[in-house]
Amino acid sequence: MKKTEAISTVTEGTKTAPTSGSNWRRILSFRNISALYIFVVIFVIFAIVTPRTFLAPGTWVLLLDEQTITVLAALAVLIPLNVAVFNLAIGAEVGFAVILVAVLQVNLQLPWPLAVLFALAAGALVGTISGLIITRLKIDSFIATLGMSSLLTAGLVLMSGQRQVLGLGEGFRDFATGGIPLGGTFKLTWPFIIMIVVALLLWYVMEKTPLGRRMYAAGFNPDGARLSGVNVARLQVGSLVVGGMVAALAGTLLASRINAGDPTVGPNLLLPALTAVFLGSTQFKGGRFNVWGTVVSVYVLAVGVKGLQLLGATDWVENAFNGVALLGAVALSRWERTSKRAAAIKRATTFGRKARTELAEQQAADDPERAPKA
Amino acid sequence: MAATNEPLLRITGMVKDFPGLRALDDVSLEVSSGEIVAVVGHNGSGKSTLVKILAGVYTRDGGEIDYPASTAEEETGLHIIHQDLGLAVQLNAIENLGIPKYKGLRASLSLAPVKREKAQALELIGRFGEPFDVTVPVGQLAPAQRSIIGIARALDGWQHPRNILILDEPTEALHASEVRVLFDAVKKLAAEGAGIIFISHRLDEVLELADRIVVLRDGKKVADESRSEIDHERLVELVTGVEAGEAETGRTDRTHGDVVLDVEGLWGEVLDGIDLTVRAGEVVGVAGVLGSGREALPAMVFGSVISAADEFNVSGAEYRKRTPAESIRRGMAFVPGDRGKYGAIRDFTARENMTLPEMKSVTNAMFGVEVRKEKALAQELVAKYDVKPPRPEQVFKQFSGGNQQKIVFAKWLRNDPSVLLLEEPTQGVDIGAKQALYDAIDAAAARGAAVVVCSSEAKELVRLCDRVLVLRDGRVSAELSGEELTETRLVLEGYGLADDDHVAGGSEGQQ
Repeated sequence: MKKTEAISTVTEGTKTAPTSGSNWRRILSFRNISALYIFVVIFVIFAIVTPRTFLAPGTWVLLLDEQTITVLAALAVLIPLNVAVFNLAIGAEVGFAVILVAVLQVNLQLPWPLAVLFALAAGALVGTISGLIITRLKIDSFIATLGMSSLLTAGLVLMSGQRQVLGLGEGFRDFATGGIPLGGTFKLTWPFIIMIVVALLLWYVMEKTPLGRRMYAAGFNPDGARLSGVNVARLQVGSLVVGGMVAALAGTLLASRINAGDPTVGPNLLLPALTAVFLGSTQFKGGRFNVWGTVVSVYVLAVGVKGLQLLGATDWVENAFNGVALLGAVALSRWERTSKRAAAIKRATTFGRKARTELAEQQAADDPERAPKA
Repeated sequence: MAATNEPLLRITGMVKDFPGLRALDDVSLEVSSGEIVAVVGHNGSGKSTLVKILAGVYTRDGGEIDYPASTAEEETGLHIIHQDLGLAVQLNAIENLGIPKYKGLRASLSLAPVKREKAQALELIGRFGEPFDVTVPVGQLAPAQRSIIGIARALDGWQHPRNILILDEPTEALHASEVRVLFDAVKKLAAEGAGIIFISHRLDEVLELADRIVVLRDGKKVADESRSEIDHERLVELVTGVEAGEAETGRTDRTHGDVVLDVEGLWGEVLDGIDLTVRAGEVVGVAGVLGSGREALPAMVFGSVISAADEFNVSGAEYRKRTPAESIRRGMAFVPGDRGKYGAIRDFTARENMTLPEMKSVTNAMFGVEVRKEKALAQELVAKYDVKPPRPEQVFKQFSGGNQQKIVFAKWLRNDPSVLLLEEPTQGVDIGAKQALYDAIDAAAARGAAVVVCSSEAKELVRLCDRVLVLRDGRVSAELSGEELTETRLVLEGYGLADDDHVAGGSEGQQ
């Protein structure tokens, strides 16, 4: 009788079970959705400073469409990063696809849908090769994808001769510029729709399926995941294959938008993509890389840059803003997590101590002979 | 002043708490000049915690550390040689001894006086017997020579001999002849006036070297006696806490079914062709000192560490190419010794950890996880294995050690494995959780699982097992069951001391 009471007080004391109230507070906390708060601040500031241009609907429609390719590139980084594989080749992968899809149309006269398919297949192949280098040759993903990046850049220069590839297939331009009209001059462009579909699919797989659970497990602790029956190597190769295809998709859309195979555009995506993924990991899921955090981060960064540009800021602002936002957000979440960890450790120790003394008392009461000679 | 009879080091009432575990409980210790004090005990007895507190790795929760003989002109220094010497294996002895420590920009950038450095290194090493080549990377030297570099490094800069040197399991990697070299060096130091604390679980070495023996058990000091008053049998009694003659014996109350796990000739790392047969409902223990091959065995059976087997059958079916995923499909489960690194995903919640090995049963037609079903299952498991606090949504790393282990157990026992492999199942776990884990193992065996327990705790093996294989140097050196299976026998067999000539036989375990 007495002992059940004692134990129940222990559980009572530590059981600050997540009630719905505290749950909401956690979800809305700055730590969880700092990017959205930053977004609101940015929005309000620019809405006051430059209301005419910043609040014009055209600005926003343009922004949504403009950033889809960055989002796709960021997602292509996110997928392998979830299984602890760094993909530094993302810029080169996108750039390679831009040129490949153009060259296939111009030099080989392939119809554009076929060229797109080939580009996607090439993306998958690149992913497979990187994956096998990492898992079979046991080369660190950082180095493997860096090497891959160099090779792809070489291929890109070889195919393009450092010049724009012009004269793309008929109708290819509609691939990136067409869409569902929303009335007026506005429309939901295909890239935006494609991006949303890709993001939704990835979100479902990563957050809702056993496959996604295994990916996170492999990302957090490859050895532990393997011992729990997760085929880590297969996941790593698979994630690079899918990531490679998404990167290639971004590349074909980019080629379609500029209506040329431009060898310079792809490689520039590496830094914005990585920035968005890391900033995104501080959002929503507290330390887990995740799809919506990544998507939102791309747009929050883009809105900030756009506002500054509307104020007349020059080229250097984009990089500066991205850098400050990333470092600030990650530092904030890190700081909050360490302070939270300290509290958690404190709780765990006091709980353990309490439980132990109670256990000793309980045993002493049960059987004075066998009680621990503590 | 230097000639006072005060001890060099005095520890009084040392206490250290870990979550759910008191690692040191009121431990006191004194070391005088010229004295070699051995601190012995099983794994988890508190030896390394004591060293880590002295080293400043842990902070103590109570107690005092004094240096009574320390005076202004002769300050007592404390030097620790850890089990892992912490040498940079690519660098040579000169560099490891820290001789080229130049301060300031000019000294750092000017040409190094190689000859003088070499002479200095040889002089330091020469104090401990035959000098050796100090210019090759220490990775190429013999283990004993590396230990000597470790000692020489600790001693470098002693202004006077009356300091304290702590050796933490220094003989772990050494051959018998090398142990001799090391011991001679240590005795020499003591003769010069140093106070030595020698931490070991090799009882024969302790008896050979020590002037005084301190025994720790479950964090408490159970003996502090002069060497002359302790003989071998008494030391085993003190370490195990079981008096010879009236010991607990192995289990005989279980009924066994068909052979489930049948391994013939398992080879790999140190294992040298081990046969292992376990029947349904049987609990087979694997004992042996560190390096005997005990640690690697379950991982090899499970397939997470590469090994070769002449014959390998699970539930009557041949199973050649072993991987963890395939082992799980065949109904095997493996609780590894390091739960943070291998046993679980620390950043996952308890729920996510428990369902990870098998998620089919909680997957819906849309290939998605049925969260409601998963949560119900997790809640049920948490209640069943008495995880405290009973919150499946809490992140794994925020549970205490014992409760983490309960979660790992729940994860594997959820699907009623036919083969359950356990490595150090109760390491770093408090008494209450230990009992719960033992109950879980008993229940699994009663349900018909073939259980293999690898443990460094003799008491645990006697409590759990029907039969215990004692490994030594990668081979089965003894198989104990029933009346024969006692803690004392296990310890003796593990060290290769089963015969009466323990001093001569003592070196056997190191070859």
